[in-house]
Amino acid sequence: MSPDQRFLGVLDTSPFRIAVVYSIVFACGAAALLGAVDFAVSRVVDGSTDNLIEAEVQGLREQVQVLSRSDFIELVEQRSQDQDVRGAVYLMVDPQLRPVAGNVPAWPTVDADQGKWFHFKVSVPFGDATRVHEMRAQRFPLYGGYRMLVGHDVQERQDVKSLMMRGLIAAVVLTLLLGLGGGFWMGRRILAQAGAISAVATQIMRGDLSQRLPVREADDEINSLAREINNMLDKIEQLTLGMRTVLDSAAHDLRTPLNRLQATAEGAMPTLTPGSPERRVLERVSSEVDHMRSTLDALLRIALAETGTVAREPVDLSQLVESVVELYAPVSEERGIALSSSVAPGATVQGNRQLLAQALANLLDNAIKFTPDGGHIRVQLKGSSNEPEVIVEDDGPGIPADKREIVLGRRVRLDSARNVPGSGLGLSLVAAVTKLHGANLVLDDAGPGLKVSLKF
Amino acid sequence: MHILIVEDDEVARDYLAKALREAGHTVDVANNGLDGLHMASSIAVDMAIVDRMLPKMDGLALVQSLRATGRKVPVLILSALGDVDDRITGLRAGGDDYLTKPYHMSELLARIDALARRGDSGNSETNTKLKLADLELDRMTRRVTRNGKKIELTAREFQLLEFMMRHSGQVVTRTMLLEGVWDYHFDPQTNVIDVHISRLRQAIDKDFDKPLLHTVRGAGYSLREDE
Repeated sequence: MSPDQRFLGVLDTSPFRIAVVYSIVFACGAAALLGAVDFAVSRVVDGSTDNLIEAEVQGLREQVQVLSRSDFIELVEQRSQDQDVRGAVYLMVDPQLRPVAGNVPAWPTVDADQGKWFHFKVSVPFGDATRVHEMRAQRFPLYGGYRMLVGHDVQERQDVKSLMMRGLIAAVVLTLLLGLGGGFWMGRRILAQAGAISAVATQIMRGDLSQRLPVREADDEINSLAREINNMLDKIEQLTLGMRTVLDSAAHDLRTPLNRLQATAEGAMPTLTPGSPERRVLERVSSEVDHMRSTLDALLRIALAETGTVAREPVDLSQLVESVVELYAPVSEERGIALSSSVAPGATVQGNRQLLAQALANLLDNAIKFTPDGGHIRVQLKGSSNEPEVIVEDDGPGIPADKREIVLGRRVRLDSARNVPGSGLGLSLVAAVTKLHGANLVLDDAGPGLKVSLKF
Repeated sequence: MHILIVEDDEVARDYLAKALREAGHTVDVANNGLDGLHMASSIAVDMAIVDRMLPKMDGLALVQSLRATGRKVPVLILSALGDVDDRITGLRAGGDDYLTKPYHMSELLARIDALARRGDSGNSETNTKLKLADLELDRMTRRVTRNGKKIELTAREFQLLEFMMRHSGQVVTRTMLLEGVWDYHFDPQTNVIDVHISRLRQAIDKDFDKPLLHTVRGAGYSLREDE
């Protein structure tokens, strides 16, 4: 796997997906919570400020009715200086908008359509420097073109609000980052574990039953699953090794007496004159031993392929198909059968070369046996280099559709094949070898004839 | 040749010893692995025939121990197991050839002969030019001539002839050819090898008085000058 693929692989893991979903949910929750707090705070703080200004406006409106201009100016000055009401601003201007009294340096430019409430900015001293503060205020006319402004510094409130907003955004971003980061990390862990498991599983599938899944200290679900699978593999290995042992001892117990028989027959032959009845009997015995041996070989190889305990290596299938076709070419030519082949180069499969060769040889052997003199056999290897398909077609009698399943079983010879020599195990071996290699064996009508397809 | 047989099956051992003696060899026998290893290490034998499954010490362990002591004596392993991988493990343990039971004596004798003469014939593996009578084969130029006349062969026929020439004067069995030329370790049910041989015979013998490629009845083929 390339780094890019590994990265994309992590994005596809379930922990990562769960983390993404949870991060989004948490981020939304945090945003909603802070939004609600902000809304509530604004209502309380804004409401109290507004009430304060409203009351002040009301008071001044009443005072302007009863006080003389100079007294009113004094009142405004007083209020402006009052340190108890922090943040309150006042300004009284003449008809030319020149300040008369108050703690705001100049009448702010206000659009006429802004309604009762408006906002403006004022530079206020802040330590040694000045700072622009936002004010919320109401304005109302006094007498003779004089105007009054009453407001309150809302900068603090704005600061709190923007601080809260920044806090909110930071919280959401952090939640998302932590969520994604955590998800990525967990995804990688899972992927590493899953990768180790699937690597071992592949080796096991290739017949190395001694492999076990990696198990860590932790007692999480993956590890306990791996432990269970390992127990299962122990059992499978025991069974398979048991089968292999049975097979080996069966082989030994059958081959040894056959060997004695052959030795005895061959050993006695030279003492007898060629052509004598006794010698002919021994020759018959010897040839029957040969026949039994070839049947035994085939049966043992089928059983061996079925246990799956066979060494595997990369096999150049293209080269193998060509070599088997080449092995049978002269025989088919003798029979006047046109054996043609088209083999795509570079097809490789993980497998046992000897078993694959024998399976292919059996297919060609069958094809040649059942194709009439002067017939045709076509061998093809096509498909991609790692999923190749081998097809052997002949124009012999074929196999009826309802018998195709049966002939793949042990020792089935159709009535039509009684007069052809053979053990009847050829296709069974092909089937077992196909299965061992995880391939698909299909018998089909070549119209006329048999089409055998081996799809890896 | 002095041959050691390590075999626990009495019938097989006696017949083997008898047949080898009749073929003119000196024979020593051992009926278990431990004795076999002792004898193979102490007696100057030219070859050992070792059964794979032996009491006291397994045949493979015997061969491995023998190789570990640096003994290069050719070893032929006889096996009564199912083959495929067993053959590979047998050869990997240090065996030089591997034969599955039941076997024909002709097959065993041909293989012993091939093992014994491996490397000492004039047509050894390192020679680029192989020669038998007026038949010449050049492995570098892939050119075959007989009596100076060029003979056209297919790639496989060339390999087949090369194998036969490297074993010239010996009997070569069908399974030896299938193993040596095709690297197949199974018995094709049809006479595929015979047809390949008759093709080769057509190519090298047809236009010449003296045939070189002979059929050895009941055993195989032989490429040789006489007869």
